[in-house]
This record gives sequence, structure tokens and C-alpha cells, in this order.
Amino acid sequence: MAQENITFTLPDLGEGLVEATVLEWQVAVGDVIERNAPLVEVETTKSAVVIPSPQAGRVAELHAEEDQVVPVGEPLVTFTVETSDDAPQAGIVGRVPTEEARPARRVRLKPPTD
Amino acid sequence: MSVNLADGVTMRYFDAPAQTPENTVPVLLLHGFGTDFDMNWRATGWTQALESAGLRVIGPDLRGHGASDKPRESDAYLPEHFVADLVAMLDESGVERVDVVGYSMGSRLAWELARSEPDRVGRVVLGGFGPKNAFEGTDLADPGSGDTAFDVVYRTVAALPGNDAAALAACARGQAARPFEPDPPLSGSPVLLVSGERDALARGAAELAERCGGEYVEIPRRDHANAVSSKAFKQAVLDFLTDRGGSSGTPVEPGVVKPV
Repeated sequence: MAQENITFTLPDLGEGLVEATVLEWQVAVGDVIERNAPLVEVETTKSAVVIPSPQAGRVAELHAEEDQVVPVGEPLVTFTVETSDDAPQAGIVGRVPTEEARPARRVRLKPPTD
Repeated sequence: MSVNLADGVTMRYFDAPAQTPENTVPVLLLHGFGTDFDMNWRATGWTQALESAGLRVIGPDLRGHGASDKPRESDAYLPEHFVADLVAMLDESGVERVDVVGYSMGSRLAWELARSEPDRVGRVVLGGFGPKNAFEGTDLADPGSGDTAFDVVYRTVAALPGNDAAALAACARGQAARPFEPDPPLSGSPVLLVSGERDALARGAAELAERCGGEYVEIPRRDHANAVSSKAFKQAVLDFLTDRGGSSGTPVEPGVVKPV
């Protein structure tokens, strides 16, 4: 079974906020957490919030210490995720080549309007 | 969901059934001045924490806040109107009795609800709240113009999108018109007070807890703005609410936060 590291950056918290201060991690390195479980408590100039985990996985690295200011888009946490590419896909007999199993994202290209 | 109130004010509220239907008392969450249910309780992880513990959660956007109507007359914000709103909401939801968790102004209203409707309130949690006059030294004709702890709060929340500064100023005046009266203390309900170590608006919380025969939990290194989201606060409240002889300590699957 293969493993993959996925890094999650501080999401855009809206309202023009450009950074947040880490108040308290709700997880520690080595923890296995579910998607949407509490991940980290941060504070902006507007409010304090708890950011839920964007995915399930094992916490491999926390990129900010408590009281540290993190700019939006900077790394926050790295997860190690099991990738079971040998396992049969649900409802499908046999194996589906990975390229076909993952539909390519369609992107519409548009010239800039200004 | 919403409920139409006696004086023509419509109040929006949130009501999530318990994931594990048991004889749990619903938890009524009352947000603080200038915020709303989502900001005070959802974004901070409270709804998820309570629902994960199998509790039914109910809570309004208080009048003047969030998606509820925002009258601009100070008289519309006297504490007794808020209490009437809450009773109407509980009636509408078919909820006979609740445990109440308030934060800041929501704690003051939790106190008033427990005082005037003792049969409908079980446990009471007062977060970010103390017996001191929160408006002391504030010019309520022009809130936000000074440097009191309340001025700072007012400036922060008046700038939040969706808030109506004039309605919030009226709300502050309506609350101030009925100064908090700690006597007689709440004695019929188990009481827990929780506040940040650096919360200037919650001074005297430990003494108030003692007078009510209740508990006080201080959150180290936190202030009025950031104690509300702390894990220690949630844990203290969960311990307080679920200590019901036999029903505590049951592991519950993590819940899913539902949209309103």
C-alpha cells in the first residue's frame, strides 16, 4: 500500500483577511484524524475559529507553532494518506487504469476581460 | 428556521436534532453582542463538539443580530424582550426544558432566562461574563468612541459585514438600561462560569460562581475574543452538561454539522 504526503495551506478566511495566528492545535503529529474533525484553532483580527480537517489522514508535520502568525496560502499541516491503488474500485469488477479512473478536470480558457 | 415574535420582529434560529435520540436535554446556545449563531458557535467548533456528544443544539440569531430583524429603538433591546423571544422559540420548537450556554451578552440573557423561567432551564453556563457593569465608562450615545473594553468590542463587531451599527448601539443602550443584578444569585440551577484569564469583561466571574454555589473555570492566556473557541472551554462545558449519572462517558461517533 502506497503512502502520499499532502500539505494543507491556511485557507482564505474571507473578508480580506491575509493572515491568522495559531492559537491551539487540536491534533498532534502522529494522530490519525477523520475528515472534518477539529484541526486547528486560529484567530484573525475579526474572530477566533476552529478550522476542520480537509481530509482524513495521519498528521505528519505541523508547519506552525502556537502563537505563530501564518499568512493565507502558507503551509499549515502535512498529512500522510494511504493510497490504495491496488484495491479494486467499488462496484467495478477488475481494475480500472488509474488514468481512466481519474477524470481530467475540464478547464475553460477565457481571454482576460480587461 | 424562524419564529415571528409578538412585536413584529422575526427571529431566525438553528435547531439540530440529536444524532442519538435519547433523553438528553437540548442545549440552548446564546451568542454574544455583535456576533451571531454561526460566528459564535459554529465557526468556533461548538456545534460540532456538542452534536458529537449526542446533544440536540438549538440557538437563535438574537434580535439585532445575524439574519434576525434589527430594530433601531433602544427599548426593543430590553432584556425582557430577549427572554420573551427565547420562550417563543422554545414553544415553537416544542422544547420544554433546556440547558443554556451563553457567551458575553448571551450569558447575561441566560441568567435572565433562568431567573424568569426557572422551570424551563436546567444547567446554566455563563461564558465570558462577570457581574461588573460591562458598559462602565462607555459613552452609549456614541459607543466605540472611547477606549473601554466595551468600546473595543463595539468597534470590532460594528465593522463586521451584515451588522447594523445603529441597531447594535440601540442594543447596547437597551441592555444598559437594565443593569445586571447579581442578587439573588441563581441557586435553583447548577451554574458554571468560564472565561479567559485576560478577559476584562469577565472580572468577578469566580466570585459570582461562588455566590451561586457553582464552578469557575479560567482559560489560561485567553481574552474575551478568543476564549470562546478554546478546547478547554468546550471540554469544561461538555463535562458539566453530560455529568448526568450513567449517561456520561459513552463514546459517540463524530457528528456532522448540518446546515441551517
